[in-house]
Amino acid sequence: MRIRFTLNGRRVEVDAPPHITLLELLRNYLRTTGVKRGCETGECGACTILMDGKPVNSCLILAPMAEGAEIVTVEGLAEDGRLHPIQEAFIEENALQCGYCTPGFLITAKALLDRVPEPSVELIKDALTGNICRCGAYRMIISAVLRASEKMRTTSASQG
Amino acid sequence: MSSSLIEVQREEFSILDSWLKAREFIVVGKSVRRVDSLEKVLGRARYVEDYLVEGMTYARIVKSSVPHGLIESISPGEASSHPDFIDLITAEDVPGQNQVGYYISDQPALAEGKVRFHGEPVALVVARKPESAELLRSMVEVRVKPLPAVFDPLEAMKDQVIIHEEVGSNVVIKTHIGKGDAEKALEESDYVVENEYRMGYQDHAYIEPEGVLAIPKDGEYTVIAPAQYPHLAQLISARVLGVPQSKVRVIQPMIGGAFGGKDDMGPILAAQAVVAAHKTGKPVLLTYSREDSFTSHCKRDPAIIYYKSGASKEGRLTAVQVRIIFDAGAYANRGPFTLWRATAHASGPYEVPNVDSRGFLVYTNKVYQGSFRGFGNPQVQFAAERQMDELAEKLGIDPLEFRLMNILKPGSRTCTNQLLDHSVGIGEALRRVAEASGWREKRRRYGRIENGKARGIGVACAWHGISTSRGVPDWCNAYINVAKDGSVSVYTGIVEFGQGSHTGILQIVSEALGIPVEKINLIGGTSDAPDTGATHGSRGLSFGGTAALIAATKIRKAVQRVAARSFGCSPDDVELRDGWVYCRRDPEKRMRWEEAVKACYLQGEEMSATGYFFMPKERFDEKKGQGQAYVVFSYMAIITEVEVDVETGLTRVLKVWPALCAGRIINPELAKGQVDGAILQGLGYMLLEEIKVEDGRILNPAFTDYLVPTIMDLPEIMDPIYVEDYFKYGPMGAKGLAEMALIPMAPAIGNAIKHAVGVSPREVPYPAEKLYMDLRRVRGG
Repeated sequence: MRIRFTLNGRRVEVDAPPHITLLELLRNYLRTTGVKRGCETGECGACTILMDGKPVNSCLILAPMAEGAEIVTVEGLAEDGRLHPIQEAFIEENALQCGYCTPGFLITAKALLDRVPEPSVELIKDALTGNICRCGAYRMIISAVLRASEKMRTTSASQG
Repeated sequence: MSSSLIEVQREEFSILDSWLKAREFIVVGKSVRRVDSLEKVLGRARYVEDYLVEGMTYARIVKSSVPHGLIESISPGEASSHPDFIDLITAEDVPGQNQVGYYISDQPALAEGKVRFHGEPVALVVARKPESAELLRSMVEVRVKPLPAVFDPLEAMKDQVIIHEEVGSNVVIKTHIGKGDAEKALEESDYVVENEYRMGYQDHAYIEPEGVLAIPKDGEYTVIAPAQYPHLAQLISARVLGVPQSKVRVIQPMIGGAFGGKDDMGPILAAQAVVAAHKTGKPVLLTYSREDSFTSHCKRDPAIIYYKSGASKEGRLTAVQVRIIFDAGAYANRGPFTLWRATAHASGPYEVPNVDSRGFLVYTNKVYQGSFRGFGNPQVQFAAERQMDELAEKLGIDPLEFRLMNILKPGSRTCTNQLLDHSVGIGEALRRVAEASGWREKRRRYGRIENGKARGIGVACAWHGISTSRGVPDWCNAYINVAKDGSVSVYTGIVEFGQGSHTGILQIVSEALGIPVEKINLIGGTSDAPDTGATHGSRGLSFGGTAALIAATKIRKAVQRVAARSFGCSPDDVELRDGWVYCRRDPEKRMRWEEAVKACYLQGEEMSATGYFFMPKERFDEKKGQGQAYVVFSYMAIITEVEVDVETGLTRVLKVWPALCAGRIINPELAKGQVDGAILQGLGYMLLEEIKVEDGRILNPAFTDYLVPTIMDLPEIMDPIYVEDYFKYGPMGAKGLAEMALIPMAPAIGNAIKHAVGVSPREVPYPAEKLYMDLRRVRGG
């Protein structure tokens, strides 16, 4: 069937079987391979994407449910060749090791910061509890989210 | 060490020695950012499943649902009429040897004749579309005639059910080390503690499940394999194909976590995938689902450990007697080596005059064990370190003091009677971590139940031999080429899977050549590089870095020679720094690195070099169980503070103080990442991670029921204390570190629980329900 939606700001139309997941659609039909397959049962968070602004596990969503939606993946975070502050902060705080869970963490963290520009450590933990980092970079990830929050506030203050 | 080795490697020894004595570093010891971080945050890093190749097909394993039985037939069934079906691959399709056994040739790539565990791969189904492979494999018909099976290693030792007829007994390997007369010394000891410890499986649970892409072309094969030793994946692929090793090329993709597991699974999946690629003539991407990963990939060895140790009333250890049974599962795989490591580390990092440590590796009809951060050592250190606390309690001495009274130091002899002549910093680590944590005061104050909760503080140490054991040959190598424009390529077999070895190696080369990291390109983890050994045993940066340092220094010397001629000074006075080559005595005499390289090309100086180094080893006498067990050991001391909820049995780890003796720290920020990660995996090992098995079948093959630490479990982890006890054959004195913090974590938590509520954990994992039951037993109710 034909599925139409917005992917990282671009309108896309794709023919795909109706029974596949949005994860499979993004990876195998649209080559958006920044979205990672970890468990395919919504337990690890590696495939997290933004769907209409909300972080969701793309492995738990059937592809046709994306019809008309606005989807953002890790590939859509940087704009005009400039890293998103959360991406910069992950590099600066060494908040990644193998990097496989990183796209999911970045997306979940972005969703949090969009909602709460100045989150507490408790709130950050609460938001990221569905994303597993087996390399154990959690301490650095928390620092990175705090740093990104500061960056984003500084930027918006200077713009405002 | 043989004198011929000293002669042949004279130049290498002198290179390592000169860097060991260097006083100042520009890049080494600094927190250089990991080189792969940009592509990782952009989502552009290519893991194996992210490769796209023309005509690619998709494979999944078909698994045994019987723990032990004879294969009667395997047929595609209804799958064959599905439009996406390409082929079914079985043992019959293996063109070469159907053998992936690591040390003992007991393991087929695909089951042949017999299945020996529930979840064993018996076939591969190859599909046109990725989404069809899962459906197709469910249609394949496998008929197996069940045989009696055995799951308990103690039962298996009776040999009533034989799992490998070709071996003849389920006890596949026996190990032994020791010295003195432990039996007699225990009889004469003032205090003796004797206990049984039980350790369960631990799953690596890397977030990237296993996968390999095999691409056939004109009788040659390119294998994109998340393996920890490209040349081993190459060797095993060639063996199953029946082609020369040189016909297979292994390339590492980005790897989504390994922790030892992909040291085993990389080559095994490579073997499975190349057979399918060979038969179909198409590129095959073989992937495991998360459930496959749980049911069918190797795990940390379950163990039963009987431990008896004694001390004199003055507080000196007198003897340890240890019997270790490792449950191998269906195949020996790494068991002979994990068990040996456990046997040889059984004393803990202490001076013990009388030691008798013996191990037994036993087959059962369950998923097999394999490499996992710590490699057999976490099991035995748990027993050793819990024993230390119990002995200290009997003696009425503070457990940390008791450790310090017996701790290894330079000049000590280990439990294999190995003389430690240098690089033993554990005593200082222990003292510093005690001070940092406020140990004495908390030992006095904690251990009381208030409002249903009790705090406790516990300590544990670990030692860990770096790289291969005994006389098992060990070498490292690297190839460096400097192009005419001065840019540098480094080829290493060392694999990057998140630990940061590639960044560390780049720092070392950058230091030696005096040029920025950005000018150097590292091509790692490929069989195109010289065989560097595996990236395991914490040897990636420590040994891989040694090779890179030697190769880079050879080039540095060539540049120094040419520049010295031009400056009219001695080559020793030529410095390489910040992209400049200059005379130290007269810095006005200088040229750019690029000019110096050009001059080398014109003046007959070779601008490529290899960094081969064969690790010098002392003798180990297998019969006596004595001698040099490892060329060097790294050490770790950890203190943890816990809070136990007496009503629920739930333990929360509140704070962790790590202290690490891993020689020179090449990159503190990356080292900290390894320590944090290992602490969390150790925390999971002790409190959360439990594989439940019933009649050989894993009951919880998912993250819902197999709990790994989430961000909610994160304790407050202090920055590591580094005691830089330099190692003479490491790059600038570095030793291995990535495994270290995991090893003492479980006993440090166990000892803290004991301090908090008086219950003495003798099992791993020790989740809330076990503590709850033990608390009820102790407290009544």
